[in-house]
Amino acid sequence: MKIWGIIREAFTFSDLSRGERIGLALLLGAIAVFPWVVKDGFARTVAVQFLYYAMLGLSWNFIGGYGGQIDLGGAKNVGFGAYGVALPMVLWDWPFWLGLPIGVAFAVLESLVLGLGLLRLRGHYFAIGTLAVALVWEELFVYSEWTRGARGLLLPFKRAPDYLYMQLTPVGFHYFIAALFVFSLLWLNWFRRSKLGYQLRAIREDEDAAASLGINVLAAKVKAYCISSVVAALGGAFYAVYYGFIDPDSVMHLDLSIMIAMTALVGGAGVLWGPIVGAAVLIPLDRYLGAWFGGGGILGMDFLIYAVIIMLLAAYQPKGVAGLIEALVLWRLKATGRSTAGLRAVGGR
Amino acid sequence: MDVVLDIGISGVLMGLVYALLALGLTVIFGIMDTVNFAHGEFLMLGMYAGYLTYAYLYPEPLAGVPVAGLVGMLLGVLAYTLLVKRLLSGPPIAQIFGTFGLMLFLRYGALAVFGPNLRSATQGLVVAKRLVVGGLTLDAAKVVAAAGSAFLFGLVYLMLRRTKLGLALQATAANREAARYMGIDTDRMNLIGWALGGATAGMAGALLVNFYYVSPTVGMVFSMITFTTVALGGFGSVPGALIAGILVGLIEVFTAQVISPQLKLAVIYTVFFLVVLFRPRGLLGAR
Amino acid sequence: MLRVRRWIRTIAAVLGLIVFVGTLPSAAQETVKIGVILPLSGPLAPTGQELRRGYELMVDIVNNVYPELAALGLEVAGWNGIPSLGGAKIEPIFADSRGEPAVGADMARRLILEQGVVGLMGAYQSSVTQTVATVAERHGIPLVNSDSSSPTLTTLGYEWFWRVTPHDMIFDDDLFNLLDGLVEGKAPGVPAVPKDSIRRLAVVVENTEFGSATGNDIVNRLAPERGYEVVEYMRYQANSPDLTSETARLVNSGADVYLFASYVSDAILFMRTLALRGAKPTLIWGQNAGFTNPDFVQALGPALHGVLTRSLFIAKIGEVRPIAAAINELYRQRYGTNLSEESAREMLGVLAWAHALNNAGSTNPRALQRALNELDIPGDQLITPWQGIKFGSRRPGEKNQNIYATGMIGQYQYNPETGGVTLEIVYPFEAATADMVFPFPGWD
Repeated sequence: MKIWGIIREAFTFSDLSRGERIGLALLLGAIAVFPWVVKDGFARTVAVQFLYYAMLGLSWNFIGGYGGQIDLGGAKNVGFGAYGVALPMVLWDWPFWLGLPIGVAFAVLESLVLGLGLLRLRGHYFAIGTLAVALVWEELFVYSEWTRGARGLLLPFKRAPDYLYMQLTPVGFHYFIAALFVFSLLWLNWFRRSKLGYQLRAIREDEDAAASLGINVLAAKVKAYCISSVVAALGGAFYAVYYGFIDPDSVMHLDLSIMIAMTALVGGAGVLWGPIVGAAVLIPLDRYLGAWFGGGGILGMDFLIYAVIIMLLAAYQPKGVAGLIEALVLWRLKATGRSTAGLRAVGGR
Repeated sequence: MDVVLDIGISGVLMGLVYALLALGLTVIFGIMDTVNFAHGEFLMLGMYAGYLTYAYLYPEPLAGVPVAGLVGMLLGVLAYTLLVKRLLSGPPIAQIFGTFGLMLFLRYGALAVFGPNLRSATQGLVVAKRLVVGGLTLDAAKVVAAAGSAFLFGLVYLMLRRTKLGLALQATAANREAARYMGIDTDRMNLIGWALGGATAGMAGALLVNFYYVSPTVGMVFSMITFTTVALGGFGSVPGALIAGILVGLIEVFTAQVISPQLKLAVIYTVFFLVVLFRPRGLLGAR
Repeated sequence: MLRVRRWIRTIAAVLGLIVFVGTLPSAAQETVKIGVILPLSGPLAPTGQELRRGYELMVDIVNNVYPELAALGLEVAGWNGIPSLGGAKIEPIFADSRGEPAVGADMARRLILEQGVVGLMGAYQSSVTQTVATVAERHGIPLVNSDSSSPTLTTLGYEWFWRVTPHDMIFDDDLFNLLDGLVEGKAPGVPAVPKDSIRRLAVVVENTEFGSATGNDIVNRLAPERGYEVVEYMRYQANSPDLTSETARLVNSGADVYLFASYVSDAILFMRTLALRGAKPTLIWGQNAGFTNPDFVQALGPALHGVLTRSLFIAKIGEVRPIAAAINELYRQRYGTNLSEESAREMLGVLAWAHALNNAGSTNPRALQRALNELDIPGDQLITPWQGIKFGSRRPGEKNQNIYATGMIGQYQYNPETGGVTLEIVYPFEAATADMVFPFPGWD
């Protein structure tokens, strides 16, 4: 059975180094026990935020990391997923599970149609094209009366936990996003060793060479772009029920697109665990800086610190934390006089 | 007919202002293939330089233009030597995020230093003055800004075409490696490009003070439209930026008039998207 | 190698800082903590700062004795903390929403779960208040709102949400009462005007939540109900770089009355562009927000002569309300400006909290819920000309709305002698502090 092969592949992490496998296991274990160990409410919301952004970062990795196509419009797919759930729920009282496929299907369809055009562009031009597309979508959602424009959608409030409408307890939401996160992680893990994954890496290294090897460059890119949109739309659907309120500003804005790409950059683009580490660094930093400095003292202090970190990282270690670790390992091997020839690149690039 | 002429002219005036904002960005991009996300913040600091000159030194916003030009130039030089130079050795994504970080830094730095208030110039030669030409009423401040834009475009264009430095800059833009073999110090060219880009952004900011408010977040208002203008005109093309600026100004006013004021940005972005798609190098793309 | 070592050191320093800040001891114990969520950074930061001052001053008045205010009859000025709680001081804990609904909700969770606040206030933008209210509802913590005006908020059936301030529909009613009053000759110093001189309306609103709510209410409900004609309903892009064509459209619509709902940046641009075009409607009215912002007044000065704005608080009210005058004076000494609508409305919110806490005699959420439901503060305790603060329903489906809340309409009037611009009260007519300038004199 082919499907079993895919599932087995998705659970195979044998090409990662031992340290990486231990790290992943520890992370998954920590996510599983988190709500039972940490009782601090704010830390829990930060954990949910972390999983949400890590998931979006993973979605970016399909096209941006492994494909090398810098997507600056990821937020539109989050928006489609969120509106797909929220709009039918508000208009016709549809449960979460009916709205979810609508949002995801729309995201895939849109990515397919526009991707066929956009993905002919290269480098900066693709990045700027995605930016423009996302901006148009945001403006259209603000304009449309049907989506209630900039006023946004307030989801019906259920007093008791409700699994049809996915209104859960804080612990319930934690496991909900954790499940989505693990699903995305497994998908990306399958993807990076699939034929498609290798094709995209070839395209990232040299598009013309890839084409001359007989790879259908456009088709490969479009496939990855669509997969990426599915994962992002799932994230958006979660966001809608978690906050109970969405508007174009919160699920379709440029800042979100940038943030998605940034999680991958900080952790290491094109590394399986890159976006996870990126989100683990950025989200707690962002939220705690906001919580500590946002309310008083110097205005915008949190953003200032954040900005300095981004600039330092971009200037000194553009490969992100993954690059940092690579440098560390290299340094240790050299210091102990061992050969560096057998060193594997981190994250099963 | 009157309405068409009336808003057509205001579209062209505003378009020239957009073109001026785009000038610095396109010069930088042309020379070194880097998108400066912090450009709107350069503009914002130029506006503060202009406004503070007006408020504390001499109560005439136009007097702030040279000051803002110097401040902008200094900013460009600092940004290049302290940050951008390092980014160049990294992948393209590092450049995008490096200047994005710079944008956040300048915006929130300004918020910390100047506070959140909106400030406006209330007196001056052209502040809130009407200019009546052949039955049409124009905003004198915008006419001055548009004229300043045309003048600076001419200056930069001539500089690029007629001076040795300009030719060296163009050579760097055309082919960095070849330029280096011919003995051009490309690093210095980058620096000059950033100084030039910063200076035009600064002066544009000071010209805006005549009719626009100044606030730490004002860069946000202009940065997307500036970006669009540059892409539309062709990254790195100076005449392209001029034409695209006017085009954006016209699209903006006519969309607001004919379709809906709410959709004016959506239409501009759609045009931008279509141009990027069908002519990725813009209307007058250099390469 | 050096580079790596430098990195390790940097990371260690950042981690150290995080651990250090995280372990700072929390403030003194004998206080009642109220979480206040405001847009302290982001585009609405100027407003956020203004709001914050209102909280701080009123909290100070409740926590310490102010004999001169107590002498005027202000009960809380005589208090030294909440009397029934053994003089416990109110401690406001400010949190920054950045103006984003998601951040607002997370901050609410943090305030409730980590910092143990007994109640919440805020969060200004109605979209943020919605997510914060949902969190408060889920955790059963009272949220007393005094700064969001979306009518929806009090129709959701929430049991832990109370609103002190009037909402937009009440404010819109005030506007049409003023227009009708002009026709009936009730406006101060203006003889009855023919309805045809103010019948044609242009409604210009920014395209986010605040603008569209006001616009829809005027266009769909009030104009048809009261017999006015909307000749232009324009929703424009907020924070536009240029508003020339919008202004041209407005002037060409031939409307008599221009009604705006704009934040400060757009409000400045609209007024400047209209002035340059020499537009001459008979009346210009702004739905607060940008129109009462001090930066708006600073930018336009004398050009504002004759412009009307709705406001919840106008400093001139001090001429009829001594308490308002005294508090305004205190505010002015401390912050250098008059009380604005923003700061004034937050003072009312703190006042409601102080009384509710005192009546409850406990910080138990259920007790507070009951105290808020039964709250009845008489009008003489307030700085606004309301009958009082009492929560109930003014419309079908409404709940926990202050039934006595109303707005005011002020008019900017230029005084050639002082060279200054004052906001005079023209509505409610009985509280008017000056004759109304009508029609709008134009900009020449």
